[in-house]
Amino acid sequence: MKRLMSSTSPQTLRLVALFLALLATVLFFSTQIDGYLSGRMFNRIATSAAVVLPIAVGQAIVVMTRNIDLSAGSTLGVVAYITGQTLGTMPDLHPALVVLMAMGFGAAAGAINGILIAFGRVPSIIVTLGTLALFRSFLVEYSNATTITTASLPVWLVDLPQKVLFSLGPLEMRLTVVLALAVCVIVGLALSRLRVARRFLAVGSNPDAVQMAGINSAWVVFVAFVLSGALAGLSGFIFLAKFGNITVVAGLGFELKSIAAVVVGGVSIMGGSGSILGVLMGTVLVDTIDNSLTRWDLVSEFWRDALLGMLIMAAVTVDTLASRSLTRLRGRSGGGQ
Amino acid sequence: MTDSAILELRSVSKSFAATAALRDMSLAILPGEIHAIVGENGAGKSTLIKIMTGVHQPDSGQILVEGQPVTLRSTQEAQTAGIAAIYQEPMVFPDLNVAENIFISNRGKGAFMRWADLYRDAEALVVPLGVTLDVRRAAAGLTLAEQQTVEIARALSLKVKVLIMDEPTASLSAHEVARLLAIARALKDQGVAVIYISHRLDEIFKIADRVTVIRDGQHISTRPIGEVTETGMVRDMVGRAIDSFAMKTAANPVGEVALSVSGLGREGVFSGVNFDLAKGEVLCLAGLVGARRTDVGLALFGIAPATQGTIVLHGTSLTIGSARAAMDLGIAYVSEDRRKLGLAMSLPIFANISLASLRKLMGLFGLIDRRAESDMAEGYRKQLDIRSPDTLIEVGKLSGGNQQKVMLAKWLETNPTVLIFDEPTRGIDVGAKAEVHGIIRTLAAKGVAIIVISSDLPEVLALADRVLVMREGRQAGLLGIAEATQERVIALAAGTGERVAA
Repeated sequence: MKRLMSSTSPQTLRLVALFLALLATVLFFSTQIDGYLSGRMFNRIATSAAVVLPIAVGQAIVVMTRNIDLSAGSTLGVVAYITGQTLGTMPDLHPALVVLMAMGFGAAAGAINGILIAFGRVPSIIVTLGTLALFRSFLVEYSNATTITTASLPVWLVDLPQKVLFSLGPLEMRLTVVLALAVCVIVGLALSRLRVARRFLAVGSNPDAVQMAGINSAWVVFVAFVLSGALAGLSGFIFLAKFGNITVVAGLGFELKSIAAVVVGGVSIMGGSGSILGVLMGTVLVDTIDNSLTRWDLVSEFWRDALLGMLIMAAVTVDTLASRSLTRLRGRSGGGQ
Repeated sequence: MTDSAILELRSVSKSFAATAALRDMSLAILPGEIHAIVGENGAGKSTLIKIMTGVHQPDSGQILVEGQPVTLRSTQEAQTAGIAAIYQEPMVFPDLNVAENIFISNRGKGAFMRWADLYRDAEALVVPLGVTLDVRRAAAGLTLAEQQTVEIARALSLKVKVLIMDEPTASLSAHEVARLLAIARALKDQGVAVIYISHRLDEIFKIADRVTVIRDGQHISTRPIGEVTETGMVRDMVGRAIDSFAMKTAANPVGEVALSVSGLGREGVFSGVNFDLAKGEVLCLAGLVGARRTDVGLALFGIAPATQGTIVLHGTSLTIGSARAAMDLGIAYVSEDRRKLGLAMSLPIFANISLASLRKLMGLFGLIDRRAESDMAEGYRKQLDIRSPDTLIEVGKLSGGNQQKVMLAKWLETNPTVLIFDEPTRGIDVGAKAEVHGIIRTLAAKGVAIIVISSDLPEVLALADRVLVMREGRQAGLLGIAEATQERVIALAAGTGERVAA
């Protein structure tokens, strides 16, 4: 066991542990909830995770640069509302254009964060805490507390969440799920293969060293926030399609969800490391628990937030303890040479 | 001569606020030479490096690369011009692997990472340096020497013409230093100009072709190494003669035994350490980096408590289980890493000095007596000659030598009877080093029992009454100062002097 521990990379161990946790969760709830292991439940969780996945991937990019985006949930809400409103007045917009528009609005919000953090040198936790409230208040003011309803949306959008690309028995691969997975594949490949994208990891790994290495860290951080905003915008679009009704509280708490997915997925909160595969598994785990709790009679669904909070803390604690004991293990076996 | 210079500064000046960091600095670096730059801390070496690497821009004057005037607005532009630097504290990315670290600054290798090519190219750079280093492993956990190798390889990957080495050997062990010097010579043979900055004068004599001395931001002299003597160089550096490297030949007269240690060890870390330390005696722990000397210090200070052996302090056998316990027993530990373990960099001087003795300063209702605190700090500022106008300045803004004095003041205030110094002069300049040595000698004369952990052999031989040499977690020998020579200590530390009685 010890030998295995010191020969496998912590990242791989992490993914294996996540997979086991997911398996344990599913097995546990299958004993608690009738008809849990069904295609219906799979589809429910998959479509729900599809909303969270883009925003979590964006959050992951930001966290990798040793920053945090607390405003992601508010951005999602604003984008969902504005996109819905635009579609109400211009229902003939091409779907691809609508997606781009949603991502563009999100990117604009992210750019505001990015400018203040990267060029204004204000800590990201402060800037995005501010914009978390600001974007939300903007939404309240802008919407005049009115609601976007399904009735005002074009039919293609309302039908979008039910659109199935292909099925494996009772398991359906819906368009939104594929869209979210595509984001994972693109960002995941970029982070491992694209030279420019590696800089997100470099900046988070050692912010002091990037300048010496001739990397413009301000620019890298700025881009990370723009991407995070754009992906929150994409989540906003999927959110709009899934729910149809957008109120001023749309996306509330998604910052917590996205951060939970990211840290549970093994992205170091200190930046510099993490994988998109981990984020995907983290998102699925968080969302599975979230969805299962709503159907579990034993516990009130109001515990869901508390559980998210505990998951975040547990993930970071386990990470810290594990990496500490791993270092010790390697130090003793002479792995440091 | 200046026509062939690869890098030349002409009358470069740079000021920060009202302070002139560099004044009218002119300097020419030739291709394929190892050019040492020496000067005290604060002489302007860092500013000079930062100007050459594009971090700062000069207020006036010119920079020429291969005879062409250039402006270096960023590290990136300096790298493009062929100038790169490696630092005392290497700049690696712990989460990235070695190969990626090496090529992190490279442009023009295409948009996509081709990992196989990357590993092959990285090996092609690392192997000629004579180092075994797995280019696929993450940089986290590399030793300092290995991290430097990564940085050197990084510079080579950029095809540098000028490589600046800033205090590269400050925390390396003897054989790592030898390897680094070999690398520097190899670079020189490839026609790279190496600018070598070090406080260790013996290295400069071993390696440099020419030496430039700077003081107070001004160029003092540039001479071929053959025309330089150590005393002459030091005189140029400090503007006065210093006699700090005198070797000690006889031990100080000492009092009764203060600390007696036998069979001391910590499971899996070190074992079998035996010594008696008398009042007024200086015991130096020598050895290579990784010989676990610091762990002995940490065990005595209770941070990583010993699990074997006995500790007898002033005649009482005891165990030391925490730093608090050690402090209560009158043991103090001046740590190697001022930044990590010793000082709160963002706090002012007075707050740092009082940190370990706040209990004494507590007045009514357990509140801190601010006046007593500042009087106490002011007293140390004068006594130890901490160079700052008052004690309200943040410690992070002081030079290394002055930081060391603040740390010392903090521990002196606890009135220790046993004082452990871990690398007390690492990274501080000749002048401050002499002052710290003076303070250590004075403390010993006052009857404090002192342990000095040092990798700097001349320092060991200048301070010690006895030298305890460690090798790989074991005590390799205990020498009286009369029998301790550089050769014997190195032989014991490196394991070639097996037959010397322990």
